[in-house]
Amino acid sequence: MNLAFKDIRYNRLKFFGSTLGVGLLLMVMLTIGGIIRGIILDSATIIEETGANLWVVEKGTLGPFVEISRIPQDYYHAIQALEGVAEASPLVMAWEHITRPMIPTPLMKFMYMNTVLGTKTMVEPGWLDMPMDQRFVVIGYKPGHIGGPPIIISGRGIEASRYEIVADVKTGLHVGERLRLGNFDYTVVGLTRNMVGFNADPVIYASLNDAQDILFQRDPDLLRNERVRVESRVLGAATGAPRLAAPLSERARSLAENVRFLNAVAVKLQPGASPGEVADAITRWKHLEVYSAARQVNLQLMGSNRLILLQLSVFRLILLVISGVIIGFIIYTLTLDKIKEIAVLKLLGMQNWRIYRMILEQALLMGVLGTLIGALLEFAMEPYFPRRVEATWGDVVQMLAAIIIVATLASLLAIRRAMKVDARMVLGT
Amino acid sequence: MEYAIEAQYLSKTYGEGRTRVEVLKDVSLAVRPGELFAIMGPSGSGKTTLLTILGLVTEPTHGRVILDEENIYNGRRPDLQCLRREKLGFIFQLANLIPFLTARENILLPLELIGITGKEARSRATELLKYLEVADRADHHPEQLSGGEKQRVAIARALANEPKVILADEPTASLDTERGLSVMRLLRKLSNEKRTAILVVTHDTRMITEVDQVIHLQDGRIVDTG
Repeated sequence: MNLAFKDIRYNRLKFFGSTLGVGLLLMVMLTIGGIIRGIILDSATIIEETGANLWVVEKGTLGPFVEISRIPQDYYHAIQALEGVAEASPLVMAWEHITRPMIPTPLMKFMYMNTVLGTKTMVEPGWLDMPMDQRFVVIGYKPGHIGGPPIIISGRGIEASRYEIVADVKTGLHVGERLRLGNFDYTVVGLTRNMVGFNADPVIYASLNDAQDILFQRDPDLLRNERVRVESRVLGAATGAPRLAAPLSERARSLAENVRFLNAVAVKLQPGASPGEVADAITRWKHLEVYSAARQVNLQLMGSNRLILLQLSVFRLILLVISGVIIGFIIYTLTLDKIKEIAVLKLLGMQNWRIYRMILEQALLMGVLGTLIGALLEFAMEPYFPRRVEATWGDVVQMLAAIIIVATLASLLAIRRAMKVDARMVLGT
Repeated sequence: MEYAIEAQYLSKTYGEGRTRVEVLKDVSLAVRPGELFAIMGPSGSGKTTLLTILGLVTEPTHGRVILDEENIYNGRRPDLQCLRREKLGFIFQLANLIPFLTARENILLPLELIGITGKEARSRATELLKYLEVADRADHHPEQLSGGEKQRVAIARALANEPKVILADEPTASLDTERGLSVMRLLRKLSNEKRTAILVVTHDTRMITEVDQVIHLQDGRIVDTG
């Protein structure tokens, strides 16, 4: 006869109610773990999906994902020619935004109501009426080379040389939709999935030239001003040689208006080529910085995302401690409710280990069921989070191991109390 | 004839020095198998202390407890839990059935503790439930039973392991006179039919008409026997 199960069956509302509470708490813990993994995956997505072995960036910079990196466009030809290089793909990438009308979600409406009710903790009143600036990462690549969208879930890839884009589904754009980026209109010809920057901004892929125009070409009025300024400076300098004024002016203008540069070159190595040797050659002869794909991911994680990852990890640890304390109190309280029964069992001659096993079994069952409930709820909730949340069954197993330890420790407290129960308490009352 | 349980010159003292309280003083008694024995006395007379010593949950300061011809505190550490589950049965004032077990499971529990399980255990439990006329309540939890039914199930539980001695602590206190007398008659019948020694602690003088022997305790001493 298993007393633990008999007790649970009889007090099922109390037990399963408490277990549900534990499960909800563990769901939060698993979610935070999923958010941490989401950040890591988001940081790694573009780099990993590009499939490059090496990332070549401007010397002295940490690369396009962390800080501004500019290298001349023609450099990728020189890299392509190096021994051991299978492919050198020129890439540009930077943030861009479009302004769209706000389409409030229920969560946004709730936040708005919260504001209206006077707390003003989240947003200012009128927030829902403001237009929304939607940010995304534009990646420019040469179609047919690495660095483009890894999968197309709807529509097609970029085929025309200009004015076509492929967008991640999280942009909210649809195939066939036209939008203005920079000074030109572009058509969405395809959609991709799970392609986001390290801060979860969705990606828009464009051809290299289009992306350079979108990201680097200045406003026409500003450009005209700049042109006049450069011309006047060059003409002033060329007063001693009037014949040189026109060609010098044209050259200076073209330099000022040049948008044909890259942020990085993604390098795929030939099979058997040594990444270290190729990187050394690029660094020595081309005066550039070279990072391995893993190092590039690490730069993001330990740079841009370091503090938020630490923050979440600390919070997760605090939650683990809180969960332990709460499970401990629940088990302790359930044991306190059975003090009289424990005294009767002791008086009937039940072995102490059977009493302690009953407490431990209940604690473990609560921990295991709570973890499963938490995991199922977390997996069910994942798609509704605005950012990527990716808990795995591996996380659940880890959580289970931690909770088994926590539940065992928590039940020790209750067992200690049970040990102190005096069988005499049921006699003479 | 040998005794089922004997107490010889039992004393129990709590505290030391000025706080020393002697709650039992030289108490001796002997109960034969099949005998219904009552311990009476006012509150604070030492009834419960005597019961806990005879129930092997309190060690006496002096004196001997002989259960089924075995001197329990004979200079060694006896396995009291084992002795309790094999040789003693308990009936409490408030029945104290395990609330999360059915009537049948409450009876099966002491059987399982002595290693009787399966068909044999179920058959013995059914027999006891029938004997105590609560067979129709076998699958009910204690909260679904009346006071009298609870006490009958508690008696069945005490009988399950076929103990040498049953210790009953105020078994009629929570019942009205008629039901109290009914329980006492039942104990009388059990002691005769099962040849079990039953010690009843009670302060209710109406119940002593059913018993074979009675001792009166006052201030930890036996002041009267009958």
